[in-house]
Amino acid sequence: MKKEIAITAYKCKQCGRIHYPFHDRCLDCKGRLFEPIKPQGNARLLAYTAIYNLPWGFDQRFLILGVAEFENKVKAMGQIKADSIDSLKTGMVLRPSWEPVRVQAGEDVYGLKFEPIP
Amino acid sequence: MRDVAIIGAGMIPFGRRDEDSLMDMLAYASLKALDDAGLGDKSVDAVYVANMGAGILQHQTSIASSLVDRLSLLPAAADVVENGPASGGSAVKNGLLAVASGYYDLVLVVGGEKMREVTGWRATDFVATMTHPQAEYPYGITLPGMGGMFTRLYMEKYGVTREHLLAVSLKNQEMGALNPYAHVEMTLDREGIFDSPHAVVNNPLAADPLHLYDLCPVSDGAAALVLCPLELAKKMAKVPVLIAGFGQATDTHTLQEREDPTDLKAVTLAARQAFEMARLKPGDIDVAELHDAFTILEIAESEHVGFFKKGEGGKAAAAGKTRFGGQIPINVSGGLKARGHPVGATGVAQIVDIVFQLRHELPGNRQVKNARYGLTVNFGGFGNNVTAFVLKRVEP
Ligand SMILES: [Zn+2]
Repeated sequence: MKKEIAITAYKCKQCGRIHYPFHDRCLDCKGRLFEPIKPQGNARLLAYTAIYNLPWGFDQRFLILGVAEFENKVKAMGQIKADSIDSLKTGMVLRPSWEPVRVQAGEDVYGLKFEPIP
Repeated sequence: MRDVAIIGAGMIPFGRRDEDSLMDMLAYASLKALDDAGLGDKSVDAVYVANMGAGILQHQTSIASSLVDRLSLLPAAADVVENGPASGGSAVKNGLLAVASGYYDLVLVVGGEKMREVTGWRATDFVATMTHPQAEYPYGITLPGMGGMFTRLYMEKYGVTREHLLAVSLKNQEMGALNPYAHVEMTLDREGIFDSPHAVVNNPLAADPLHLYDLCPVSDGAAALVLCPLELAKKMAKVPVLIAGFGQATDTHTLQEREDPTDLKAVTLAARQAFEMARLKPGDIDVAELHDAFTILEIAESEHVGFFKKGEGGKAAAAGKTRFGGQIPINVSGGLKARGHPVGATGVAQIVDIVFQLRHELPGNRQVKNARYGLTVNFGGFGNNVTAFVLKRVEP
């Protein structure tokens, strides 16, 4: 079975707040009923960094990571495909993709990647 | 509720301690605090051990049971308290509540961590296990990475600059060099890490825009305190330090779910609770130990606890207002940046340093004159679980 990061977001049926990751009760109204939604469209970059001291399990020199907001308001972290962090700017639009983000126990784990739209 | 005082404080030098096991370090720090309290061969009622990673790093669990056995404190009650890098603050809280309630009279609180036992990338991975297991961890995010994202947001919103961060780094490293318990004992020079062409080599990017010297080191170490009711403390040899205020608050696990990710709500709330309980204001504090795992955190916390307005903390640091001798001396010990950050020990060590300050025991180049009130902030996760203490000197 393909290893994947859960990327379903949850919209509160009572007040409409969108949650990602999952919460058992709504962060605003404590409601317990949610409509599962998938992130849709492109995403706007909210925060980013490049890390040079990588944790165990990553065999590369550096890794660019960021948090972005999709067109349907889902916010999520992902890896950013860029040669240099200097090409990034807060607020820029990114194209999401679903790709291997790390290897665990010899298997690819799929998750979110973002790429600047030229 | 009874008033609770600290009657003993002790720590061992932080750093790389290859020769000591985690249990050795916890035992040494405990004995120093027990001796400092003048307890000699007496026992205590309860022991709270702050530790985050023995299960992962040492493959050892139930370390509180093991420690009371080593220290011959049997049959004292013993528990481990794990709250990430705020484990120390949480363990002291447990001691405080136990004594305040009247349930126990004499409590030992000790925090320790042995992080240099594993390689750097294993240690980085260990600390990253406190990030969200689905939404964050699998992507390779680290705590410095969270710090990097936060720093850029803070720079964009409040105009914090690398100069401001540098001021914190140089100040804490300078003070750490005077502290015999500090991990990092050398001062930094601005030229070598900022101005000269070699600065990019000496002080490379670690988590953009944070550089190597914006980060605390990975350390081994332990620190301990002895708590008892104030009335009993007044009969002891050392000047008692009252735990005048305590606060703790939590926030969302991920930064992305905070309405304003630059707003460290848990810091504001924890500090406010501690000040209210102590009936004091930020302006009353003489000396503070803030959780500067990254230089930006000292600046942000100095604003969130109320020392400075939002957006003024960086400028205040650069203007020397937080230096020894300044308006509000912050991290006179060197802070996490120079004292080191053995995660389970930090919250206890911050209070040990403030106890030394409030008992007026430090040499002149580090002793804040006539210090009466101190504040500590111990920051867990990326601000999702924060403890704060207001401490007060009890005049003999
Ligand atoms: Zn709701």
